[in-house]
This record gives sequence, structure tokens and C-alpha cells, in this order.
Amino acid sequence: MPTRILLRLAARITFATTLAFTIPASFGEVTTEAQLKAAYLVNFLKYVEFPGTRTVVNLCLFGRDSLGPYLAGYEGRQVGGRELRIRKVSSPEQIADCQELFIPDTEEARLTAVLRWVDKQPILTVSDADTFTREGGGIALVRAEGRLQFEVNVEALTRAGLRASPQMLRLARPMAGAAR
Amino acid sequence: MKRTTLWIAILAAFTSGSHAAGDSLDELSLEDLVKTDITSVARKSQSLADVPAAAFVITAEDIRRSGARALPDVLRMAPGIQVAQIDNGRYAVTARSFNGRFATKLQVLVDGRSLYHSLFGGVMWELDPIPLEDIERIEIIRGAGAVMWGANAVNGVINIISKHTRNQTGTAVTVSGGTKGTADFYARTGQSVSDNTSWKLSAQARHIEPSRQYLNSADSVDRLDNAVIDFRLDHDLGAGRDLSVWASASRSKTTELWNTQPDFSQGGLNVSAITPNQVLNSESLVGRYRWLGDTGIESSIQASLTRSGIEIDNFVTETLTTVDLDYQGRYAVDRHDILWGLNHRSASDEISTNEPYIAFTRRSATQRDTGLFIHDDWTLIPDKLKLGAGIRVATTTANGTNVSTNATLLWTPSRSDSLWLKYAQAPRTSARAERDVSILAGASVVQTAIPFPPFTANIPVVTYVNASGGLSPEKSQGLELGYRKQLSTAISADINVYRYRYTDLRSGRQTWMFGCHPMFALSSIPVDAAKCAYFGIPIGTPVLFNEMQTTNGLAAWNDGIELSADWLVTPGWRLQLSYSWSHLKVDHDSNATIDADGKIMERASPRHQASLRSQWNITPSQQFDLWLRGASGMDRLNLVDTVPSATGAPTFTRIPGYITMDLRYAYRVNKDMEFALIGRNLIGRHRLEYLSDYIPTAATEIAPAWLLTTHWRF
Repeated sequence: MPTRILLRLAARITFATTLAFTIPASFGEVTTEAQLKAAYLVNFLKYVEFPGTRTVVNLCLFGRDSLGPYLAGYEGRQVGGRELRIRKVSSPEQIADCQELFIPDTEEARLTAVLRWVDKQPILTVSDADTFTREGGGIALVRAEGRLQFEVNVEALTRAGLRASPQMLRLARPMAGAAR
Repeated sequence: MKRTTLWIAILAAFTSGSHAAGDSLDELSLEDLVKTDITSVARKSQSLADVPAAAFVITAEDIRRSGARALPDVLRMAPGIQVAQIDNGRYAVTARSFNGRFATKLQVLVDGRSLYHSLFGGVMWELDPIPLEDIERIEIIRGAGAVMWGANAVNGVINIISKHTRNQTGTAVTVSGGTKGTADFYARTGQSVSDNTSWKLSAQARHIEPSRQYLNSADSVDRLDNAVIDFRLDHDLGAGRDLSVWASASRSKTTELWNTQPDFSQGGLNVSAITPNQVLNSESLVGRYRWLGDTGIESSIQASLTRSGIEIDNFVTETLTTVDLDYQGRYAVDRHDILWGLNHRSASDEISTNEPYIAFTRRSATQRDTGLFIHDDWTLIPDKLKLGAGIRVATTTANGTNVSTNATLLWTPSRSDSLWLKYAQAPRTSARAERDVSILAGASVVQTAIPFPPFTANIPVVTYVNASGGLSPEKSQGLELGYRKQLSTAISADINVYRYRYTDLRSGRQTWMFGCHPMFALSSIPVDAAKCAYFGIPIGTPVLFNEMQTTNGLAAWNDGIELSADWLVTPGWRLQLSYSWSHLKVDHDSNATIDADGKIMERASPRHQASLRSQWNITPSQQFDLWLRGASGMDRLNLVDTVPSATGAPTFTRIPGYITMDLRYAYRVNKDMEFALIGRNLIGRHRLEYLSDYIPTAATEIAPAWLLTTHWRF
């Protein structure tokens, strides 16, 4: 009896997966918002000066992240002369070794907690939560006029001991509201 | 063995289809990036990629583009969620079978406040809990979630998260009108008082004229008038502390036709249709304070007070006061992410009923539930392997202490795929209605040959359910296996299988039978003069009473597969597919009544269900959306069947499988004004989706409807 159920389950799985794979995987040319965000995260590392010298740069993804798949292609590449590594993190201890930390907007409730973990450490914080820079975060990715743009909280970067290049600041969108 | 081989084959298939993301954007500079237009339809992250459970997210955009006007219709897009419309306002909603108008195995929360009605352990869907436009996203987690969400999250949890008020400033108005006498209105105003304080007030009203009866196309009586007012205030206190207050009031007014098909009158017994009016109301006040401790512990405390009422003419009047207190803490340290919580709920009701149709053992009662849980997500290998485990201990007035546990393993072999395994158990504590209610539950007419003088008599048999007094919790435990894969930057797929075992499931059990005519003594059926008098039936009337009681009599296996896929075909065109298959197998029982109940349960849910949504941005100002959805057929029990039959055995109505379609065309005049033409249920002119359980509601036709809606923002 259980064997029959298993067999039937197996048949269903096969059917369902076949369904899923009739979708051709070669359609990968569409630029999605997630892809843009991933490209931004990698680019920021080129425009921000971190203290000290290192050969590896860690881009950390916090919590319920969904950018992982879009960053996979960048892993191991040289970014500003350093090897890029992607890591998933969920606690303060794991964050200590990050240079850049992305906090997705689905983790909005935990923004302040995470910002406190990184306080005064040389970590560049980035989020796609609209209010991120106002909350004291480093860079916010915001959707405006049909484009994905970014806001830089210079004060937050300075506090973290980071320096954004003038070129980057020129491209940034003026921050909405004053920094706290 | 076979299954292992199959999984390897599936994994291989997924892997071969995988290719690295983001090739074309690689060499872009920051300068190029800020100039790239986003035309894509997918705004927000759709998946909960890191959750070791069958999860699905519905975004505000998905809600708007679905064209749906009521919350249950929105939920149809999620795999594993079964939604069937009963009439204009009433729905049966469940996850993974066991559907019913009073389905008991689904937990529904709005901003952490449970909509679970403690009287019967389900949700009254005719009451709009929140305007659809105020919803930020809906997170749906299928499967047992009792550890985190409480003892009744047996088959799934629906988490409705409302928009933050700072994103709802200004004024917005939506006015809609359409066929079937549909008129909707939504208005909102909000303000950012300062950098840290904002509020919003919104109101929604819906009106629908009666639909048609399925059987005879005559007008039914399900005219619907719904209204909901919702207020929210957010105040940021700085340093990780914030305060939110919600106040809402909702009301629903509709009528129902309780059918008999056909009317039956014989001697002292009359069975005929009635049309009771129904008014539901609910008012709630919720406050939440979140703070960040110096040690890094994130805490949140939420208190809510809800007063609600049910008023069904000549049947039942109920008022309920619910107080919820909920504390949750979170501490992330090293490789652990620990979550714990303590909650207490107290629900006091007062009920008056129209006997003998319905009676409650106690006129008023207070139920208290207290629960304590702890859950840890432990990263065994960073980026690769995560182990989760949790336990909840809960005490309820009716069912004593219950323990729920879960354990999960999440393996992410690469950035773009994850495989998870979950074990979970969940009890469903008995609801007050299951323990304390005595109710007329059905009727049939049996043709009997009377030997002397020889003639054929039509004997009505009335089913009456007596209050059971005590009822144990229903128990469930099961295994789930799931796999998620980002196939390319534009395609993702999610598949999971589950197998759950349920024991102590609620069922009916025959306690005894009596008649109101001495002739039944010939078949050794006694006459119960006192009870016949209670039901107002004079002795000498040929009526039989079949007395039942609710008991924990059934056990079942529930298996299923759920699949969802998301494909951004072009920047402006997105396809979303979901499919689910579920199979409920109830154990045979030696008791004939219990066994028959099991069969009814097995046949009552559709086996297959599928949905295909297409969202197309024709131009930046024009959208065209199409939604094809369908389900296979099922059989619903006829509660009152007065057509004489030889055996009086339960009869069923076949609800045929269906495929239907919704369309939406939207034109944006400028950034503040939009028009949309919505067509719903366009395939199938004369369609039936459900037949109510417990209450013999006349089946209503789910007919095509058109709606024109305008949205202004100023």
C-alpha cells in the first residue's frame, strides 16, 4: 500500500518537474531589478575606500536574502584588485568579517538591530528599504522615475571609517530627509 | 529506492538547466547602472529563498493586478491553498485539503493579530479584515507551523502584513462599479507628522447585489454590504525602538437561503427553506512596541483587544471579547539565531440561540490559551547547511497541555538552489462550538414498506448532533521535502512534497435513535416523549431522530505535491504558474457512521488545482493581465435532502471541475490616475464552486462579472 502511494507520488513529481522544465532555461537575457541590485552591490565596492589592505573582499547578505542567485556569477572575481566572496550572515559574530552588508527590505523590522551590530565597524551597509539612509544606514537603493537609484549617507560612511569616491557621490541621488 | 533515484534525476535536471546569473550587466559602471531603466514587472522579491518550508509571497502588485476584490480570491494564486466561493461574501478556504466553510486548520494573521474565531476555530471570510489596498504583502507558509504560530497552525499560516504608514501618505480614492450590481469604494488619507511619526486612515465599502441560485437560476438572497475602517499610527522612538497602533472596525451584512429541496411537510413536521439575515462585526485595537536591548536582544510586545459579534436571525447571537498578549524575542549570536515567545489569549463569549435548532451547553464561556516557544536556527556550515529546531508548550482551558515540535534542515549546495527537509507536528485544539453545540445537522427521507396495512411510508429522518462535552485535540505530524532553484536570472521554480499523518480527527458518531411514533417500536426504535416534545413534534408523528455526537474518531494520511514557477519572459511580461495535487486518504473505521464521515471528508476536496498568471506591461502606461485558474471536481454532502430514498444514505452533489479566467486592462493617465477594466470568472457562464457544510445554504452560481475601476491619488 505505501509503495503504491510512493509510486503515485513519484509519478506526480515527474509530471510536475516536466512541467517546470518545459520552460526553456536559456531565456536569461532579461534585466531584472534583482540583477540591477546585484550589479550595484558589486560596483559600490569599487567606489568605496576601505581601511587597511586585503586580498579578499566579503560581500555579506543578511537574513532572508533573495539576491544570492544573482550574485553567484560575480563570486571569485577581482573587484578593485581584491577577490570577491559572497557570504550569508545572520548574527553579529558573522558580520565582523564583512566589508559590505546587504539587508533586504523584507528584514526591515530588524534594520536598527543590524545597524547597531555594525556600528563604527568599517562595514558598508546597503539596503533596498526606502528609508534606510534616514535610519542611519550607508546606502539605500531606491526606485525612482522608473530607474533604480541610490542614496548615500556620507555621515554614516564617515562614522564607519569609509570614504566614498567623489565620482560615486556625484551619481548619488540627494538624500530624502536629513540624516539622524 | 525508486524515490531516491528520481530525486537524483530531478537534481540533475535542475543542475543542467542552471547557468550563472548576470552576464550582461557585468561590465556596467555605476554611471551606466543609474541610467538603466527598470521596466520589469516584478517589483519586489517574490520568494522566501531562505525559509525551510513551503512558502509563497503575494505582493501588493500581485494583489492589484489580480483584479480580485476580496481577500480569499487573492489567496487563489498560492499553491496548496484551496479557495471555493460559496456566495457573494462567503468562502471556504483551507490549505492542503479538509476544506470547509468553517475550516479549522489554517491560521490567519493580520499584522500579528489572529483572525481565528475561537468559537469554531476558523475564519469568517465574509468580514473584510483589512482593505486590500492597505496590504503590503501576504506570506503564506503551508504545512504545520504550530511552534511559531500557535497550536492551530496545522496545515498552514497566512500572514498579512499591512503597509507602513510612511508609505501611505497623501490621499487616494478608488471607485469601482460593475455588473452584478457591484460597487466598491476605497479612500485613504495619511500624513507624516514628523520625521518619526506618521499615520493613515482608510475605509473600504463593498456592495454586491444577490447572485443567482445554481439550481433554478432564481435570485438568491446573498446581497452583500461590507465596510471596514482601518487606522494605523507608527512612531519611531529611535535607538531601535518603535511603536505602532492599529484600530479597525469592520462590518458585514448579508442574507442566506437555507434550502430544503423540496419543502417537506408531513404530520407535525415541516421542513422548509428560511432566509436568515446575518450581521457580523469586529472592532479591534492593537498596540505593538519593539525595542532593542543593550545586549542585542530584539524584543517585541503586542497587545490586542478585539470585540466581535455574530448575529444570525432566529438562529444565534454571539458576542466575543478577545484579549491577546504576545511577547517575542530574538537573539542572533555566533552561529545561532534564537527566537522565543510567550503568548496568552483569553476569549470570553456570550451566546443566545434559538432552540431546538441550535443550543449551547453554556451560555457564556471563557477560553484561555497560554503558550511558550523557543526556536533556534543553527548554521552548521556557513552558506551551506542550516539546522532548525523548535518546541512549543501550550496550555488551553479545554485541552490541557500540548507540545508541538519541529525540525528543519536547509541545504544550499549553490547560490541558486536550496533543498530543505522539514518535520513538524501540530495539535489542533478543540473549538467551543465542537464541544458545546447541539444542532440540527441534516435531514433525509426514507421510503419504508409498512407490512400492515401494506403501504409505502415516507419517514423523515432528522440528524441531530449533541454537544460532545469533551473533545481531544486533533493531532498531526508529517514530513516535507522541498527544492528551490533559480534557473536563470528570469526563471525560478519551487517544488515540494509532503506526507502528513492525522489522528484523532473530528468525526460524527451515532449515539442512538428514537422516534416520535409508537410504530417504530416494531423495529425496536424507542419513542422518546421528552425529546419529541423538545423538538415540538407531537407523539404519533412518523419522524425518526438520528442522534450523533462529535468524537475524535478518524485518522488519515494526507499527501501532496506543490509547484510554483516564476518566469520573466521579457522585461515587461511575467508568467507565474502554480500547481498542486493533494490526496487525502482516511482510514477505514469499523463504526459505520464514523467510516461514512471519513468518506465524506475524502471526497470533499479537489485533487488538482492550478493557476497561471500573466502580467504584461504593454507600454509604461498600459497593463494587460490574464489569470487562468482551475480545480478538479469534488463531491459535497447534501445536508438536507428531502427527496425520498430507499436507504436514506447520504447523497452528494458533484461540484464539477472548472477552468476560468480573469482579465484586467489598466490605463495610467498620469502618475496619479489610473483606470482599469476587470473581468472575473469569464469562462463558464453557469458554474458552482462549493456547497456549504453545516449550513444547507442554497448553491449559488459563480457568474462572469465586469468591473470598471478608477484610482486617483492627490
